[in-house]
Amino acid sequence: MSYYIRLGLILFLIAAVASAVLAFINGLTEPIIIENQIQLEIQARQVVLPQADTFEYVEDELPYYRGLDEDGNIVGYTFMAVGSGYSGDIDTMVGLTDEMIVSNIQVIQQTETPGLGANCTRPEFTEQYQDLDAEQVKIERDGGKVETITGATITARAVSNSISEAMIQMKKQLEAAPKINIEPDIEEAA
Amino acid sequence: MSNNEKKLKQVGQNNQDLYSVTVSPHMSEYRSVKSVMWNVVFALLPALIVGIYLFGMRALLLTVYGVIAAVLCEALIQKLRKQPITVNDGSAVITGMLVAFNFHAAAPWWIPVLGSIFAIAIGKHVFGGLGHNPMNPALLGRVFLVASFPTYTAAGWIPTLRNSISGITSNMDIPAVTDLVSSATPLAVIKSLRDPSFVNNINEAFPNASQILMDEAASLPTIQNLFWGNIGGCIGEVSAAALLLGALWLAWKRIIEWRIPTFFILTVFVLTFIFGGIDGLFSASILLPFFHIFAGGLMLGALYMATDMVTSPLTKKGRIVFGIGCGFMTVVIRFVGGYPEGVTFAILLMNLIVPLIDKHTRPKPFGFVPDK
Amino acid sequence: MSLIKEMTKGFFKENPVFVMALGLCPALAVSSSIENAIGMGGAATFVLLCSNILISLLKNLIPSKIRIPCYIVVIASFVTIVDMTMNAYLFELHKNLGIFIPLIVVNCVILGRAEAFAGRNNVVKSIFDGIGMGIGFTLALVAVAFFRELLGAGQLLGVNVMPANYQPILIAILAPGAFLTLGLLLGLMNLLKKPEAD
Repeated sequence: MSYYIRLGLILFLIAAVASAVLAFINGLTEPIIIENQIQLEIQARQVVLPQADTFEYVEDELPYYRGLDEDGNIVGYTFMAVGSGYSGDIDTMVGLTDEMIVSNIQVIQQTETPGLGANCTRPEFTEQYQDLDAEQVKIERDGGKVETITGATITARAVSNSISEAMIQMKKQLEAAPKINIEPDIEEAA
Repeated sequence: MSNNEKKLKQVGQNNQDLYSVTVSPHMSEYRSVKSVMWNVVFALLPALIVGIYLFGMRALLLTVYGVIAAVLCEALIQKLRKQPITVNDGSAVITGMLVAFNFHAAAPWWIPVLGSIFAIAIGKHVFGGLGHNPMNPALLGRVFLVASFPTYTAAGWIPTLRNSISGITSNMDIPAVTDLVSSATPLAVIKSLRDPSFVNNINEAFPNASQILMDEAASLPTIQNLFWGNIGGCIGEVSAAALLLGALWLAWKRIIEWRIPTFFILTVFVLTFIFGGIDGLFSASILLPFFHIFAGGLMLGALYMATDMVTSPLTKKGRIVFGIGCGFMTVVIRFVGGYPEGVTFAILLMNLIVPLIDKHTRPKPFGFVPDK
Repeated sequence: MSLIKEMTKGFFKENPVFVMALGLCPALAVSSSIENAIGMGGAATFVLLCSNILISLLKNLIPSKIRIPCYIVVIASFVTIVDMTMNAYLFELHKNLGIFIPLIVVNCVILGRAEAFAGRNNVVKSIFDGIGMGIGFTLALVAVAFFRELLGAGQLLGVNVMPANYQPILIAILAPGAFLTLGLLLGLMNLLKKPEAD
């Protein structure tokens, strides 16, 4: 009996030491990892909405960020559109101007086929979305203005439809809650 | 290897005809690999002639490239493997022809060349050469190219010298539809009708447009175009008539047997009749199954590739199972899968389970009593 | 001299991937570019070296009945350390390797060396064995990735090396390309090892 207790104790000891070491290293690296992730998102937001200086998080059915210029005026919104592509979800960061027109998009995360669907991250594809409204953000075959990627209609359609749907949702949200925060001082209070 | 065995092997090679004893039944007819293969080449000629007639000399050129690449590759590998060089048995010629037949005539010259090399080297010789390959080499070559160069193989269809690509004439004046029937293959048109966003789009432009387009696709003139091959498509697959003509020759010569193609085509016919309509079960017109069996690579696949002696089951029952499986997979891929055409993958998938089919359909010896 | 041998045996003669056929999952999954292969190989080598050292030190303390759980705890700890450190300091590479870093825990090469070598030999030998096997694993990954990246993307280490009109053979960087390349390289290794075998 004591033999088995000894076995358990040894395993416990090894696991305890391992946990202690991991906890220590986690303490060192965690702040850097979180900082990295935040930087990545900030960068993406700045790419899709370069007019904005700072961003402010808004909780809603579709959470989004409000882009503010130097004086605290709303210049646009950024949000994440998620569509189901050929092999998994495609996350696209969308920047919208104040007039509900696409400022720019960036595909943040995708697992599409390399050489085909994965080309949706290329500027040749994403730049097409600039200055389109919710109606035009569809592939040509569905009556929109987006040219598909050769051999990867599904990907192009998934990206377009997810953006279009998210834009419609955004419109609804903004109409339901009008721009109450246009005054800079209210914003600070919020 | 002992001395004795060595000697035996030598004797066997020198006097193959005299000393080789095969398992029963001892058939009286002597049929060589060579005669079978050259007969298949002969049977493929009508399809090639139609291909040249429809797409011009480029079709012939691509086929020749494919054949030369396949033959040279086979000879080179056999030389490297220190095997007797057997390129004149025609099997590499068939592979080269079938690979080229699977691409449209606007493909660049290196498409059939690369496909043939892959088919021979990876599809056949990696497994040990003719008779050892588990899957049809030509189809593997096609899959390799389709996966590698989708921009060249899935797009860029050219019209025939005489008709539009899809062979479908639409009287509706909707840009999306006219675009589609002029640039897509027949199966791609049918596939689009299973795509909700496309259907919504055209139905908004024109009431009931999807059903009208479906009827236009499954109409007698379209099916005539498909049967004679008056459509765009791959070099060798467009004309069902030419392929059937060659297959009749092979059936008359008893080189292909009827079970695999019959059950393959029949299964596609029945399933497309049941599930082919866009308005629920049995909503398809009786013409739609004809559309499905004449369109795409079905005739080429069912008559010439599924019947490949090396990669199809040995037993009669097994061949029926194999044919039905191929038909089922084809319809599943055409209706639900990502590609408009599913014959290639259907045959390759069924090739893989041939040993299983053979095992479970082995006939019982007469008087056999199973162990209790 | 024999220490050098302990190291070099992992390069070719007992190569973990091509000869022992261990660690095939990362060899297939993370070999689509040389950069990823080097990153994966480096991370695995680090874990292998650390786990070899620690396990050979602890081998007299660990009762044989619970050696496998102990090895796994040791290996998993080092993998987590690598994971967190790479995430903090090599963010881009960590994003590319993704799930495959945590999966080093179940990389058979590492547990295999712990069980077959470090648990039976002294620290110095285990260090050389770990380095050798790690380099062998990295070499194998780079070899597969070399062909896949060259054929499938026309690039080496992210730099275009093929002529401008080269059409990438996409299948090479897709999953089937990994199986094809690994299989053909395995065959080639066998051919080189015993040229007269028949």
